[in-house]
Amino acid sequence: MSIKHEDTNTSVPGFHMEGEDRGILTLSVGPQHPGSGHFRLIVKVDGDIIVEALPDPGYVHRGEEKMCEYRNYIQNIPHLERPMIADSCGILYPYVLAVEELINIQVPERAKYIRVIMAEINRCIFELYWLAIYGIFLGHSTMFMWPMADRELLIDLAEMASGARVTHAYFVPGGVRNDLPDNFVEKAVRHLKYFRSRLKEYKDIFYDNPLFQSRTIGVGVLRREDAINLGATGPVLRASGVEHDIRKVEPYDVYDELDFKVITMKEGDSYARAYVPWLEMFESVEIILQALEKMPNGPVRTKLGPNPKGGVAEVFKRVEAARGELAYYIVSDGNPKPYRVKLSVPSFRELPVMAHLLKGAKLADMPSIYWSMNYWPVEADR
Amino acid sequence: MVIAMATVSEFKFSEFVKSVLWLLFWVILIFSLIVLPIIFVILFYIPEPVINGVRINPYLLLTMLTNPQIGAPLIKATIESTFFKIAVFPGFTFAALFATVLIYAERKVLAKMQLRVGPYHAGREAFWWANSLGGFLQLIADLLKLLGKEIIVPAGADKPIFWAAPVVLVVAAAGLIALIPVAPNWVIADIDVGLLAVFALLGFFPLTTLLASYASNSKYPFIGGLRALYQLISYEIPLILSVLGVVILAGTLNLTGIVNAQNPYWFIILLPIGAVIFFITALAELERIPFDLPEAESEIVAGWLTEYSGMAYGLIQLANYIKMYALSALFVTLFLGGWMGPQIASSIEFFDVTIISAEEANGVTWFAIKTFGIALLMIMMRGINPRIKIDILLRTAWSKLIAIAFINVFIAVALLYLGVVPIAGGA
Amino acid sequence: MGSVSGMLKAIASGSKHLAIRRFTLRYPEQKLKFVGDGYQFDPKEGVGIAGYRGRHILYQDKCTGCQLCSIACEGIAEAIAMVKVDKQYKQNKKGIMPQIDYGKCVFCGLCVDACPFYALFMTDDYELAAYTKEHLIYTPDQLAIKPKYIGTYEIKIDELGAYHDE
Repeated sequence: MSIKHEDTNTSVPGFHMEGEDRGILTLSVGPQHPGSGHFRLIVKVDGDIIVEALPDPGYVHRGEEKMCEYRNYIQNIPHLERPMIADSCGILYPYVLAVEELINIQVPERAKYIRVIMAEINRCIFELYWLAIYGIFLGHSTMFMWPMADRELLIDLAEMASGARVTHAYFVPGGVRNDLPDNFVEKAVRHLKYFRSRLKEYKDIFYDNPLFQSRTIGVGVLRREDAINLGATGPVLRASGVEHDIRKVEPYDVYDELDFKVITMKEGDSYARAYVPWLEMFESVEIILQALEKMPNGPVRTKLGPNPKGGVAEVFKRVEAARGELAYYIVSDGNPKPYRVKLSVPSFRELPVMAHLLKGAKLADMPSIYWSMNYWPVEADR
Repeated sequence: MVIAMATVSEFKFSEFVKSVLWLLFWVILIFSLIVLPIIFVILFYIPEPVINGVRINPYLLLTMLTNPQIGAPLIKATIESTFFKIAVFPGFTFAALFATVLIYAERKVLAKMQLRVGPYHAGREAFWWANSLGGFLQLIADLLKLLGKEIIVPAGADKPIFWAAPVVLVVAAAGLIALIPVAPNWVIADIDVGLLAVFALLGFFPLTTLLASYASNSKYPFIGGLRALYQLISYEIPLILSVLGVVILAGTLNLTGIVNAQNPYWFIILLPIGAVIFFITALAELERIPFDLPEAESEIVAGWLTEYSGMAYGLIQLANYIKMYALSALFVTLFLGGWMGPQIASSIEFFDVTIISAEEANGVTWFAIKTFGIALLMIMMRGINPRIKIDILLRTAWSKLIAIAFINVFIAVALLYLGVVPIAGGA
Repeated sequence: MGSVSGMLKAIASGSKHLAIRRFTLRYPEQKLKFVGDGYQFDPKEGVGIAGYRGRHILYQDKCTGCQLCSIACEGIAEAIAMVKVDKQYKQNKKGIMPQIDYGKCVFCGLCVDACPFYALFMTDDYELAAYTKEHLIYTPDQLAIKPKYIGTYEIKIDELGAYHDE
């Protein structure tokens, strides 16, 4: 998408009128805007209807994939969790799975269960953050505070396990870095049961609130065929009626031994895209409680040398992160540092869907559609 | 670059004498040219006030100020004078203090609903015995911060209107306070068409908002100002219609008369639909959540007040909260019986002279309690609702609310002609 | 009307929350309690011991100056530099020990994983604020001091909600 900026001759600063169509106003919902994050969205408005929306990512591009080539496989771990720091285990998971396949190393059973537990905790942490920002985009300050408070329960658990509240750096090729402390299981069960009761409170004040429903029902409807053709992924895809979850399609670690449902809804509007993650959080709590029960005792890490390296090979692994399908493609040429790491993120793949849905919508619907796309600017720009 | 060193000059006595004489010269000049004529004007041309049949001359005034027992009628006369009513109670100072308490209550109640502590550290030493009352002085801190900020005027802005708009907003909000009766004799302006004057003053707000947004010369205020105009104009009509039922039942437009007409039953029992519609449209007039569009933060940075910073922003927020107090007080006056309530307060006496009689004190207390209750309800509505969209806002105002308000008028007329409410006093 | 009942339910839910306890942790009067003593690593087993990843602690009587921590950090944050120390230790022939720049450290703990001599662990201390960037560089002698961190508050849950208490 090439973006042309036409600076027509105008004496009033701040107004760009197109040449022929003098009714179209170009708004830059830019990086410095309380409603957009680090991401510029150029929106052409005719009155109140959006005529065209041009996403302009790249504001926080850092060159993550190039920087990976200068670090060895272990040093890449705190580096690669930074693009999506709110869901740090999710973005690290396919990387460690790929490196394990490259180095050809086995993972103990207990480590697999711990990894599943931490991945699901991180999924809930991200979904709560996402719900909080959804509330504040629509002006609902209470819906901003409650998920942030409930997130603290889960961050406490993650901090007990890994040692840091947000920047976990907990997964390594070969397992996890340290075992869970002794009182983790009973504290986790207590916190998760309370968390489940808190999740039920969101229904009255948010999902059943007629004002919220009037803003999101019927807004930004994504039909099933369009969702599949445009490449949507994650909760966006499942809210349009497509039952596709990598945890069921290509199970990794111990997901095939755990019992959970894949949540879908038929409507495909913003309400469904906000409702599906809420239901998915209940399923996550179920998964964690089952895994805590079934977890065997044993070692949690296979010993690894200081400079692990694999042969000349290419690996591709994908995982269901909180926002959708996250995949890594690693090319190795036998050195301790990878030759090429390609990181394929769900946020970047939602951009065509966003542009498609915003066309023809009203300007007031823009925050509701934009945020329901699960777009995280730092991850999309890498 | 020359770095100047500060030189300490030596003390010269002649310089000292010269500076003292210079100061003395200016003092004598100002005193004789300005202060003395003012004193002469006051002494010669202003007639001596008469209190309780006694002419007050300056000697008596000084005696009264130093001897409280003789001076008690002076206090009573001051309280009943017009200047006191406008400036202090029930005028601007009372409204500003009420607005202050409202801002504090809003932050704390909203915080409690959101499971957090609101302002906590400012002023906590003073309230060590009540852990949840910390942060009482946070408003003073915010006020000092706003006073210290620079007011940035955008390039190409229309300067006279840009500077005048916040002041006009505060003035119009303060004008609303002048009409509201707080206790049986305590109203600043007892106009016969009081309710009509309220709506005339409410008409200032859309106009000033639009002018403020145009004068800012920027894209986001432009959009916000248009949205504010649509919203404020559309919601004035259901506001006026919902009050029509009250006027029919009370038979007068005078606000004191409306309160007096609620003697057996308050109007909220007879006209509940009208009360609900008045509440909703008052929320829309105040631009509070859920009708927060003109200041919708996530879409149009801060709406029509984006370009206002520093004390201009402070004045706009003050106008908003005074308007909130005024509309809550109006709701209490029209529907909840004003100052009426069982007698719980006693009179305030000062050396055997009744400064505030028992029924006045009682009226003021009940009025304050009821207004605070309605304001708390407005705060709760903010806590539980998201923002409404512009097309649903306009559709609701023009079709649904006007229809329900008309039903309310029919109920009022039916109540009158079925004899449930006596046809009250002629005017 | 469906919307009226929805609004009444929302009002009821909001009023119910006026009775639930506040969740805030009033830092700095209240500080969080951590499990254990800080993140440690056992090089014989090859696995870590759970703990909070705060400021490092250097056991000077075990450090041999092998530079493995510095090499591990080179690809991550380049926060560890080896400097000469005055005191001579028997096991430290070169006389160098790590110096950590907390302006660059990301607290990932991979340097602790790299140390084979039980010399570098992490502690509970996270209050490292300073006024200048030079004050953030901790010399080996500063790193050898065990910090005193007293944190006693944790999340408690009862029927009135969740809150932070001792």
